[in-house]
Amino acid sequence: MNKKSIVDQTYYWIDQTAKQQTLKLARLISRRNFLSRLGMMLAGAATLPLLPVSRSFAQETLQEIGDPQTCEYWRYCALGGTLCTCCGGTITSCPPGAEPSPISWVGTCRNPVDDRNYLISYNDCCGKSVCQRCGCHNSERDKPVYFPSNADSILWCFGTEHRTYHCTVAVVLGEASSKG
Amino acid sequence: MRVITFTGLCLSLAVSVASAQIQPQTMQPSETMAEPGENWIMTVTRDAGYIFDASNGEMHGLISISGHTPAIQPNPARREFYAAVSYYSRGSYGERTDVLTIHDFENLSPIAEVDIPDKITSLNFRAYIGLLSDGKHVAVSNMTPAQSVSIVDVENRSFVGEISTPGCALILPVDNNDFMTMCGDGTLMLLEVDGNGNESNRVRTKKFFDVQEDPIYDRPVETADGWLLVSNGGKAFDVSTSGNRMSVSDAWDVVTPEDAEDGWWPGGNQPYTVHRDLGLLYVTMHQGERYTHYHPGTEVWVFSLAAKRRIAKIEFEKPVRGVMVTQESQPLLMVADEDGGTHVYDALTFKFQRTIEGPPAELFEDF
Repeated sequence: MNKKSIVDQTYYWIDQTAKQQTLKLARLISRRNFLSRLGMMLAGAATLPLLPVSRSFAQETLQEIGDPQTCEYWRYCALGGTLCTCCGGTITSCPPGAEPSPISWVGTCRNPVDDRNYLISYNDCCGKSVCQRCGCHNSERDKPVYFPSNADSILWCFGTEHRTYHCTVAVVLGEASSKG
Repeated sequence: MRVITFTGLCLSLAVSVASAQIQPQTMQPSETMAEPGENWIMTVTRDAGYIFDASNGEMHGLISISGHTPAIQPNPARREFYAAVSYYSRGSYGERTDVLTIHDFENLSPIAEVDIPDKITSLNFRAYIGLLSDGKHVAVSNMTPAQSVSIVDVENRSFVGEISTPGCALILPVDNNDFMTMCGDGTLMLLEVDGNGNESNRVRTKKFFDVQEDPIYDRPVETADGWLLVSNGGKAFDVSTSGNRMSVSDAWDVVTPEDAEDGWWPGGNQPYTVHRDLGLLYVTMHQGERYTHYHPGTEVWVFSLAAKRRIAKIEFEKPVRGVMVTQESQPLLMVADEDGGTHVYDALTFKFQRTIEGPPAELFEDF
């Protein structure tokens, strides 16, 4: 048996083995089954970071207590700025003509009603003069400006048409951790 | 009626006589600022820098800034002040223009502007602007929210370039034209800058603090041979550099375990200050809980930096949100109270000297 013949036979053996294994796999798992599993994996991975949000959506409504026009309102535990609720906006929407910043800083506040911690997104409303009403400087879990994602001092009017700061809203993203 | 007419005539004659006795005055040329003396300071508000002689409370002039200026950087060697400012074409909205304005000592007027990227951070943090050791380059912090630093050549009035500082902010100038910056991973980064204002090298310390457990204040203060960093929980670190090496001391206690048991914390928006030659540290302190790092202090504690221990306490009736000690041999302690008042104390005897009237200071600046 010459060298060429040995190489040819080896290739033939590899081809046959691969073909048999592929056919075996195809008999066990349909293409649709594979795609559906892959799809589930992708969807699962995409959903993973949203789990706290999903849990909050799963609740019927968030029970709250207090006056959203005061700095002591529970959602404002890490809010540095002026309250949009005092300036013609609501706790989740900007006052007329102000533009919400798509980028925010995040705090973790305890809701006194259910004694659970919630992730709060503090979004600045931009493009108008500072609304000099209801100024708050709460600093629970606040971090310095060199750690911006949790720094309540930073003005977050980024990605907006106009970058001047007007006021801040406090949006509940979801539950942060279990009770206690 | 006749009596009234007579009286009126007499009065008008009296006025005429009086007018005839004085030279009519004319408007004189504007004053120029005198040579800054001992204990001259600046109170920086949102809109202006007010220059006072703290030893008598007299005001000597004002520097106009926009409402979007982090701090004002003096450069006595060139007799200039630098302010990074953002302007909006319609006041509170419209096209944004960021410039470094250069004001002279004589008239406190802008004498030049350098265009810089429209990225500056506009919060009142002293360390968002810094003069590098050659006196020729000024560094300005940017946030977009990506963090970087713009370098300006104030001698040639030109923008040099931008240095990326991902995850790090604030400017702590050191020798050799270099500066350090504080990083969210618990380290310091040293940026080496050449004579043209370009980055030539960068090095980092090891992690020496935990930003989640006990972050260091974003208000670093210069010492005789480097910088002093104090954490929210009252741990102090002395930092110095030698060439491209940074040394960070072991943590020492501003708040001892006993003080912590009594609930003492540093707090305020200018919470500590150092007299460099005398090696004295002043810290505003209050009793409270964790995350009260902006709360004004009911006391100011005084420390010897050499001994690393407290040597005095000053109690205040009205809580204090900021302090700054002047660098003279007979230093004064500038105190900002929680209602916006500015007061002057003798920094060695702690005796009250005076109150300076004016708008609330966001920062005190010494020059």
